[in-house]
Amino acid sequence: MLGAIARRLAASAATLIAVIILAGLLIHIVPGDPVTAMMAQSVTATPEVMAEMRRHLGLDLPVWQQVGLYLFHVVQGDLGLTIRGNEPVLTLLIQRLPNTFMLAVSGLGVALAIGLPLGFVAALNRNGLGDSVVMLIAVLGVSIPSFWLGLVLLQVFSLDLGWLPVAGSGWRNMILPALTLGVTYSALVARMTRSTVIEILGEDYVRTARARGLREWQVLSIHVLRPALINIVTVVGLVFAYLMGGQVIIENVFSWNGIGRLAIQAMLQRDYPLIQGFIIVFASSVVLVSVVLDILYRILDPRLSRP
Amino acid sequence: MTRRRVSWTVMLGIGMVALILILAAVAPWLAPFDPLRMAVGPRLAAPQAGFWFGTDEFGRDLFSRVLCGARLSIGIGFVAITIGLVLGGVIGVLAAFSGRWVQALVLRALDVLYSFPDTLIALALVAFLGPGLSNATIAIAISLIPFYARVTFGLAAVERPKPYVEAARLAGVSHSRLLAVHVLPNISQTLIVMGTLGFSSAILSAAGLSFLGLGVQPPAPEWGAILAGGRNYLTKAPWILLCPGLAICLTVLSFNLIGDSWRDLVDPRRRGRS
Amino acid sequence: MYSGCHGFLLPTTVRRALARVVLAGVSSIVLGHGAARAADAPALVVARSVDADNLDPQKTANTQSLQITNLVFDTLLTMARDGSIHPGLAESWTAAPDGKSYSFILRDGLTCHDGTVFDAAAAKFSVDRAVNPETNNPNSAAWGPITATSVDHNTLTVNLSAPYAPFPAFLTSIQAAVICPSSVVGTAFKPIGTGPFKLVSWTRNDRITLEANPAYRNFNPLITNPGAPHIAKIEFAVIPEAVARMAALRSGEVQMAEPSLEETADLSKDKNFRVYASDLSGQQMVMAFTWKIKPLDNPDVRRAIGMALNRDAYRDIAFQGLVSTADCPVAPHLPATDEALCRSYGVSYDPVAAKALLAKAGYGPDKPLKVILSVHKLPGWDEMHQIMQQDLATIGVQADIETREVAAFFDHMKGENERTTGTPVVWTMGMSGVDPDYLSFLWKRPGFVNMGIGPELDGMLEDQRRLSGAARTEKIHEIDKYLLQNAYAVPLLSPGWGWLMASTTKVEGFKMGFMVSLLFNDVTVAP
Repeated sequence: MLGAIARRLAASAATLIAVIILAGLLIHIVPGDPVTAMMAQSVTATPEVMAEMRRHLGLDLPVWQQVGLYLFHVVQGDLGLTIRGNEPVLTLLIQRLPNTFMLAVSGLGVALAIGLPLGFVAALNRNGLGDSVVMLIAVLGVSIPSFWLGLVLLQVFSLDLGWLPVAGSGWRNMILPALTLGVTYSALVARMTRSTVIEILGEDYVRTARARGLREWQVLSIHVLRPALINIVTVVGLVFAYLMGGQVIIENVFSWNGIGRLAIQAMLQRDYPLIQGFIIVFASSVVLVSVVLDILYRILDPRLSRP
Repeated sequence: MTRRRVSWTVMLGIGMVALILILAAVAPWLAPFDPLRMAVGPRLAAPQAGFWFGTDEFGRDLFSRVLCGARLSIGIGFVAITIGLVLGGVIGVLAAFSGRWVQALVLRALDVLYSFPDTLIALALVAFLGPGLSNATIAIAISLIPFYARVTFGLAAVERPKPYVEAARLAGVSHSRLLAVHVLPNISQTLIVMGTLGFSSAILSAAGLSFLGLGVQPPAPEWGAILAGGRNYLTKAPWILLCPGLAICLTVLSFNLIGDSWRDLVDPRRRGRS
Repeated sequence: MYSGCHGFLLPTTVRRALARVVLAGVSSIVLGHGAARAADAPALVVARSVDADNLDPQKTANTQSLQITNLVFDTLLTMARDGSIHPGLAESWTAAPDGKSYSFILRDGLTCHDGTVFDAAAAKFSVDRAVNPETNNPNSAAWGPITATSVDHNTLTVNLSAPYAPFPAFLTSIQAAVICPSSVVGTAFKPIGTGPFKLVSWTRNDRITLEANPAYRNFNPLITNPGAPHIAKIEFAVIPEAVARMAALRSGEVQMAEPSLEETADLSKDKNFRVYASDLSGQQMVMAFTWKIKPLDNPDVRRAIGMALNRDAYRDIAFQGLVSTADCPVAPHLPATDEALCRSYGVSYDPVAAKALLAKAGYGPDKPLKVILSVHKLPGWDEMHQIMQQDLATIGVQADIETREVAAFFDHMKGENERTTGTPVVWTMGMSGVDPDYLSFLWKRPGFVNMGIGPELDGMLEDQRRLSGAARTEKIHEIDKYLLQNAYAVPLLSPGWGWLMASTTKVEGFKMGFMVSLLFNDVTVAP
C-alpha cells in the first residue's frame, strides 16, 4: 500500500509541475499586454514609463527563460507580486484560502445533508415513484444557476426577512452561500449515493444478511449504509473540487472574501501573476484533497488492492 | 447494470425539450414584439395582459426577449457541444489507440484540466479572449473538451481489445482508417447521447459568463445577459430576474432529466471504480 | 455493538486527528467571530462596489484607491469650491515670473502619523519620488516637467524646464498626495501621511480600516472642522453586488454606501436616508472615434453620429436623471469651461439632419454604415450604450456593442486607435481632473491610448500650458472649438462614475470634494 501511495504522490507532483509550466506559459499565449493593463486608468502614463515597467517585470526576456524562471521561483514558494498593488501573490491567496475552504466544506456539508438521504430514498425505491420524484428534486437543484439562486436567497433572507447579514466573514454570513452551493451540488451527491447503494443492495452479503432474517433497518444500517458511505468518500473529493470552482461566482454575489472573488477580479483586471497564482493554488488544493481522500479510502477499505 | 425502463421523468424531459425547441424555432413568429425594440411598452411594467413577463427599464417586452433568448442560449450550447465533442472525441480516440507513454501523458493532462470545473475554464479563457458571442462559445467548447475526451477515451479503450479491431489490423487497414471507419461508428451512438449531457452545463456556463458581462453582449436577449442587465432591479422589478431565471432552470432541468438516465452508463468517474 | 463488524470504522489515530481538526475549525469560527464582536464597534462603515487597488498614491490612478489615499495624505495646496487655490501643507507659495520655478514655504509643527516631523525635506522626498521614473508613477507626467527640487530651511523649491500653468491646480488634486518618507522602506510601502485618518489595516477586496489622526490640523477650505475628525474610525467594506450593498444600507449593517443608480431615486425620497451627489467631480464623458479608419476620417460622418445621440434619454433612462448633459470636452465648472460656447461649436440632437449627412457621405438604407461600439463596463454606461445603439440604428448606422472591463478596454483601444483599416470603432470614455489641462494628456500625440490627433492641436495644447489668465482661457476655448467643430469628440454627460453616496440620516456632515474625493472630517454619527 505504501508503494501505491508513493506512486500517487509522485504522479501528483508531476501534475503540479505541469500546471506550473502551463501557468507560466499562459501569459505568453494570451493576447494583450500586461503593462498596458496595469496603466489602464492612468491618463498620464507615458510610453517611457511603460517601457521601463516592461523591463522591470522581465517581459523582454525569451519565453523559455521566463517560464524557466517562473518554475524556479514557484518551486521555492515565490509566486511573484500582483500587478495591481504590488503585493505577494502567495500571501494574498493563502490569506483567502481558509475562507474558500470553509465555504467549500460548509457547502459540502449541505450537499451531503441533502444528497445522501435523497440518494438513499431513491435507491430503496428504485424505479418507483419515490425514485423519480426524489431524483427530480435533486436534478432541479443542479439546474438552477447558482448566481441567480444566490441573488434570490439574498433578497428573501437578508432584505425581505432581515434574518441574515449581507456581507462580512462571520459564520452567519456563510449560511446563504453554503446553502446556495449545497443545493447546487446535492444532485451530484444524490446521484452517486443512489447508484452506490443500488450496487451494494445487489451484493451477495446483503442478500445473505437478509436471508439470515435480520430486520430490514439492521441490514440497511450495517450492511448497506457503512459500505456506501465509504464508497461516497471517493466522490467527495470530486464534489469538493467542483465546490471550490463553483464558488467563484457565488463569492462575488455574497461579498465572501475567498480566492474565487480574487480570481475574478484578477481575470477582469488582467493581473497575470495573480491569475497564474490562482491556477496553481487551486490545482494544488484540489490535488491535495484528492490525494488525502485516496489515502483515506485505502485505509478505510483494506480490500482495495488496486494499484 | 440492468437496463432501465424509460421512466416518466425521462419522458417529461423529452417532452419539455421538444416544447422548448419548438418554441425556440417559432419564436420570431410567436414573439409579440421585436425583442430589441425599446419603448414598446411602459418602463418597468409588471407582468400584465399584453406584456406577460412585464417590461424592462427600456420598455422592452420581456416575454419576447426570453422567447427569442431561447434561440441564443440553445444555439450557443449546440455549437459549443459540437466543437467540444468533435475535438474531445478525436483526442480521446487517438489517446486510446496510442502507446503507453503518450496515453499516460494525455490522460495526465486531461486529469489536470478535468480538476478545474468547466465554468472556471470558460471564465478564464473568455477573460483572455475578450467577451462576445463567438468567444464565449469557443471558451465553453474548449472547457467541455476534457470531459468529452475522457469519456471517449473510456469508450474507445473498451473497443481496443475487441476482435474486430484485431481483425481489421490483420487485414492491413491503416491506423487512421481503423479509427475513423471501424472504431468511431461503434462508439458514436454513446457519444451523441453524451452530447445532451453537455447541454445543461454549456447553457449554465453561457449564462454565467453573460452574468459577469463576459458573454453575449447587450442588447442581445441571451438569458444570462437579461439577468445581468436586470440584477439591480431585483427589489424594484423582480420579474426581470425571475422570468429568464426560470427559463434557464426549466431548460437545464429538461436536458438534465434526459441526460441523467444515461449518465450512469458513461460517466468516466464511475467507470474507473467498478 | 456492531462496531467491529466490517472494520469500516476509522482507526483511532485517524479519528483523533480528525476530531482535532474539526474542533480547531469550529473554535476558530466561533472565537474569531466573538473577537470581532468584542472590539469596539466602528463608528462608520462605508460600503463601496470596488476596492482600492493600491494605497500608494504615487502608484495608482484609480478613483477608488485615491479616495482612500486622500484621507491618509494631504496635499501641498488646496482648492475652494470656486476653483481658487489656497494653502495646504504649504502655508504660502510663489511662482517665478518666467513660470519655471515655484517656491513653497512649509508649515511648522506638522507631524506624520508615526510621529516623525513633516518638513520641507519630507515634501522634497515625496515630490522626488513622485517624478522618479523608477517609481512608475502613472501620474508622473501630470506633475509637469520637473527638473530639480531643493530645500532651504522650510522652503521647497521646484524647478521646471518649461512653464506649466496648471501646476498649482494639480498640486491640490488627489493625485498629488504628499507622502511621509517613513512610508517607504526598501521596496515596501506603508501608507504614512499627515492626513485626517491613519491606516489601521487593509484586507484586499474586503475591508480597509482607518482611525482618526488626533493631531490633525485641517487647511482644506471645503472642510469646516479645524482639527481631528469627529469620528474615531471608518471601515470601507467592499460589497460588489449592488442589490447586496443596498440591502446592507437598508438593514443598517452599513451606515453609508455607494448607491445603485436604480435605487438612488427611491433613497432620496425616503426620509431615513440621505443621498449625496458630487458637483465638483470634474468628470466628463465623451464619445470618440477611430478617425484614422474610413469613413470616420470624414468629419461629416462623425458629426452625423454625434447628431444621432439622444443625450437626454441617456440622462433620464440610463442614469435615472442623476447626471446632466454637458457640452464641452472637459467637465462643467472647471476653469475656462464655457458650456454655452461649446454648445455653439458642437452638434446637437437631430436624427433627420444626421441621415442627410450620412446620405451625402454615401450611406443609406441599401448601404448601411457598420461600426463597433467599443465600451467598458460601468453602471449607467451599460444602459446608455444600449440606447446609443438604438439611436445609431435610427439613422441607419449598425453598431455592435463590445463591452470590456476597464483594464482590458483601454488595452484594446490602444491598438484600435492605431489602426487605419478594418471596421471603424466608435467608443466612449470618461476622465476627471481639477484643471482643463487633462486635455493635453488625452489629445496630445501619442495621447492616452494613442488618441492624439495632430500637430495643430498639439501646438495649441502646448501653448495653453505656457499661458495664464484670460489668454489661457481663450486658448482652451480654441481647443474646445477644434475638437468639437471637427467632431473628434462628442461630449455626452457629466459626471459619470462614483459621484453618488447615500447614508442613513444618522450620518451628518459628509461632503464630496474634487474628483469625487470623500470628506469625513465633519462627519458625526448618531448612535
